[in-house]
Amino acid sequence: MSSEPDLTAEPEEHQHADDGGPQPEKHCGHGRGGMGEEVTRKEDKRFITGRGNYVDDIKKPGMLHCEIVRSPHAHARIEDIDGSRAMALDGVVAVLTADDLLEHDLATMPTLMDDTQDVLVNDKVKFQSQEVAAVIAEDRYTAKDAAEKVEVEYDVLEPVVDAEEALEDDAPLIRDELDDQEDNHIFDWETGDKEATQEVFDEAAVTVEEQMEYQRLHPAPIETCGAVADWDPGKDKMTVHMTSQAPHAHRTLFSQVSGIPEHKVRIVSPDVGGGFGNKVPIYPGYVVAAAASYVLEQPVKWIEERSENIQTTGFARDYDMTGEIAATEDGVIQGVKVDVLANHGAYNAAAQPSKFPAGFFNIFTGSYDVDAAYGSLTGAFTNTAPGGVAYRCSFRVTEAVYLIERMVKVLADELDVDPAEIRRRNFIPSDAFPYESATGWNYDSGDYEKALDKALEMADYEHYREEQQRRIAEDADKLIGIGISSFTEVVGAGPGKQCDIAGIEMFDSADLRVNPTGNAVLRIGVQTQGQGHETTFAQIVAEELGMDVDDITVEHGDTDTEPYGLGTYGSRSTPVAGAAAAVAARKVRDKAKSIAANELEAAEEDIEWDRESGEFHVAGAPDRSITITEIAAGAYMNSPGNEEPGLEAVNYYDPPEMTYPFGSYIVVVEVDRETGEVDFEKFVAVDDCGNRINPMIIEGQIHGGLAQGIGTAMLEHVTYDDNGNVTGGDFMNYLLPTANEIPNFETGHTVTPSPHHPIGAKGVGESPTVGSPPAIVNAVVDAMSHAGTSHVEMPMTPDTVWEELDEVGLSISPSENVSFEFDDGASEEPADD
Amino acid sequence: MKAAAFEHHEPTTVDKAVSLLESLDSPTILAGGQSLVPMLRFRLARPDTVVDINGIDSLDYLHEEDGYLKLGALARHADVEDSDLIDEKYGSFADTAPLVADPQIRNRGTIVGSIAQADPKGDWGSVLLAHDGEVVAQGPDGERVIPADELFLLPYDTSLGENELVTEARVPVPEAGEGSAYHKLKRKTGDYAMAGVAARLVLDDDGRITDAGIGMTAVDITNARAREAEAHLEGERPSADLFEAAGELAAEESNPESDEHGDASYKERMIDVLTQRALGDAAERAGVVKRRVTP
Ligand SMILES: Cc1cc2nc3c(=O)[nH]c(=O)nc-3n(C[C@H](O)[C@H](O)[C@H](O)COP(=O)(O)OP(=O)(O)OC[C@H]3O[C@@H](n4cnc5c(N)ncnc54)[C@H](O)[C@@H]3O)c2cc1C
Repeated sequence: MSSEPDLTAEPEEHQHADDGGPQPEKHCGHGRGGMGEEVTRKEDKRFITGRGNYVDDIKKPGMLHCEIVRSPHAHARIEDIDGSRAMALDGVVAVLTADDLLEHDLATMPTLMDDTQDVLVNDKVKFQSQEVAAVIAEDRYTAKDAAEKVEVEYDVLEPVVDAEEALEDDAPLIRDELDDQEDNHIFDWETGDKEATQEVFDEAAVTVEEQMEYQRLHPAPIETCGAVADWDPGKDKMTVHMTSQAPHAHRTLFSQVSGIPEHKVRIVSPDVGGGFGNKVPIYPGYVVAAAASYVLEQPVKWIEERSENIQTTGFARDYDMTGEIAATEDGVIQGVKVDVLANHGAYNAAAQPSKFPAGFFNIFTGSYDVDAAYGSLTGAFTNTAPGGVAYRCSFRVTEAVYLIERMVKVLADELDVDPAEIRRRNFIPSDAFPYESATGWNYDSGDYEKALDKALEMADYEHYREEQQRRIAEDADKLIGIGISSFTEVVGAGPGKQCDIAGIEMFDSADLRVNPTGNAVLRIGVQTQGQGHETTFAQIVAEELGMDVDDITVEHGDTDTEPYGLGTYGSRSTPVAGAAAAVAARKVRDKAKSIAANELEAAEEDIEWDRESGEFHVAGAPDRSITITEIAAGAYMNSPGNEEPGLEAVNYYDPPEMTYPFGSYIVVVEVDRETGEVDFEKFVAVDDCGNRINPMIIEGQIHGGLAQGIGTAMLEHVTYDDNGNVTGGDFMNYLLPTANEIPNFETGHTVTPSPHHPIGAKGVGESPTVGSPPAIVNAVVDAMSHAGTSHVEMPMTPDTVWEELDEVGLSISPSENVSFEFDDGASEEPADD
Repeated sequence: MKAAAFEHHEPTTVDKAVSLLESLDSPTILAGGQSLVPMLRFRLARPDTVVDINGIDSLDYLHEEDGYLKLGALARHADVEDSDLIDEKYGSFADTAPLVADPQIRNRGTIVGSIAQADPKGDWGSVLLAHDGEVVAQGPDGERVIPADELFLLPYDTSLGENELVTEARVPVPEAGEGSAYHKLKRKTGDYAMAGVAARLVLDDDGRITDAGIGMTAVDITNARAREAEAHLEGERPSADLFEAAGELAAEESNPESDEHGDASYKERMIDVLTQRALGDAAERAGVVKRRVTP
């Protein structure tokens, strides 16, 4: 399963750092869309012309529609379900309950963390809007009408939605169906060296502590979840078109849950309208659609409504964290401690590698060289929807980055050291890589100071510091705050021995087939939901084989034709499947050599590959050259005889390590002392994702992720009331930023290649979501830290910010700085009080 | 969207609409659909019959006539936003339109529909109150004019009869020395107000306030007037102190509730701030005073 060592260790000649100036075409001599070129996205033509094909676009003859009946209560025992009034409606085909599913052993399903979740509630509802019954009807309106007529009798129980309350002795027991579950405690987890860390804290000159909540968020792809399940009794085959970020893993799980052999299950993930981690888990709706299709022998479509998506599918974050730093008087960090209470909802359904119950949270020492670190975490069940998915991040790295970047600001303020300077004093030095962190991570490469310096320059940092002081001195009605985040990510899971999803090692794959006429199809095990794989993966192959990017088609998302892969999330596509694509292309290149030798009538040892020209030639005779197109013809029409015919290669790539992209973001805000409103003055993002495949796509990814970071910091929150009702469960209440809330972004980059990745690339799609929230919060805090503010909770609503302004004595009334002058010259002076 | 089934009627004249409203069993009027359609989607509204007035061309106007600014039932938020007349003479309307919802919603939603919806978080109700506006309704018994002060009863409830069609909302054309403004605090584009204040002032030659109107959004069970603040202003010359006192009075008169977006005490404080800001703009637009903001 692992790749050939000589290939994986070959970042080749394009492994060089650069200073971030314009660099397209530097990597690829032939100018036909290789590494570093801003190739227009191949997928956009179909999207822009309305020819995308999403799950809800799929229509099959005889297709039925599924509507799910959901519980209005957060915690209730089901006494009775009566579907007779629903069945009586014209066009209703079936009403399914847990009893029906029990017959097929489908009443429950495993979560990715090995918990067992009801597909349809068997006995007790554990969160509001949980799936209670399903109606199958001839059209979706009838299905909805009928769902309203399913009568369910509930015995309502006391719910608990807060994790801390859930762990109190008198809290209602949520998971009473589990044998040894006596409370709502799920697991305890720890990392690092507790004693060594405590020693450091005991002796430290300075310690700081801050409690902060990473609020419950919901990844909000524009396309909600859905499936069209089609059981073919003639072929004994189940085909499911579904919104999946991991079609192969879902095929294996589907087969395991349903008992249908895996070679008789086909999962197709067609165009997917955004995933953000929301489409990694399996949801009851998928299983119900498949079960219904199996029983009724007709295709069944299930499409979630928006509020169903927000209220029931995988949420993200919901970590209540306390961070501590021990440091010298000069602000040199010696130790980091963190304690977390994690709300997992009614089931442990987090989506992360199975050996990591807290994901990669233990990367919480961030970009800093810290001797001792210790972290502890407790997971709790509550009467809220299950989740804990990696919302545009690599498994809890977002929470970790938020914690450390906030804490560094707290430390800087405590010591009255500039937040840029304190980072400089603590960065892992660029010559210390590969670097092993106190919690055991092996950072591949980094140059944190360079990225920070670049961001400071782009942000005109000194100017804003002066402006900030001027405003304070003049008692101005708007304050300036400057926030920094110098984050490090950890992305690209595996290695397979370390990381698995439900037991399947986290490798990935590429299958490259060059056709006789010289073009090629690349099939990959990852699945695009907007990342631009159809373009960037073609660029990798174009670079490696000297082909034109337009001559390469990338296919993904169909388990019948694609090689097995683990899917796209956690920024793993480029680090893992991107590596597989490069290695597969190099295998093809190796084979191409013998064909080239045959065609050029030279010895194979004398054939050289020239990356600049994208051609093979005879050593010492550059004009005796041949392109891959000509070689392809040779492979099929004039094969050398010493090799198998054809020109294809497959690679299953198990990464030796993860990659560690990083960056520095600087945010300047203006805070209105009258209302608490926050305005963005400047937003600088410098990213380093190693070698860059398509700078335009990277910039697009950064913009999108920053928008989500702004949503996180300012707007988004899935809230519950004490009765367990979701009060932030639709877009009127779960607020997403629009273009109006998004400032102008200034992006920049540095390039520090990954030493172990075949093309020196790291993941980038998630850096902005991970890195920006602490920069934004730090900025708002910074506007008030001169008056004593140390923290403001997200989302930073005008109210939250105003309460803090008021708390530290900075709030003002408009009357304090307004006066009126009359035409006759009289004037009414400002109020003096 | 999976609304419950309903019957759809599309009259092209007011008479036809009125007779449909009279003959049908509990009909619901559809204007821009920007409040009704979401309610249909959540099945919070389940009308049997819908009378869609979008085909009644005679209701599509926005103009001055007989001493009033008149907005026909099909005048959309975007029509107000794009109108030169509004830009020149109606500060509060010009302020409000671009703050309502988002551009897509403004292209469809109507001012009259918004007023008929009587959402206490709606913006136009406050503007109508501050301007002493009124609506004109057509029903089985003919036409009647309802002053804004007598229109809003409860959240989503007005003194309109079930069979009445509002054909027009209107406010008096501004007198000399009149200025108005609207200030709104919201969390994002497309979000309703956390708090909003419409203010209208009429100043005499001496710079004294002869008439004041203040309407408040999202801080009571309906759009509400700040009567004590209004009374406090009358006869005085604009000053920071005066407006501060008016802001405090308005805040006292408000009755906000806490929700996910803000605490009641914060909203009250914001009514104070927004009242001062709106009064400042209104005074300046009245053309008698200039406002200086320091530093
Ligand atoms: C996302 C979103 C954000 C919004 N934000 C805001 C905001 O910030 N501020 C704000 O003020 N509004 C906001 N709105 C509401 C918007 O302004 C609506 O346009 C307005 O409330 C209703 O106008 P309409 O023409 O769309 O009416 P409809 O939705 O068609 O009708 C609304 C109600 O009024 C009745 N009705 C309509 N016309 C008449 C009539 N001529 N006579 C009698 N009854 C009538 C209908 O029967 C219905 O009950 C928002 C709406 C949405 C969906």
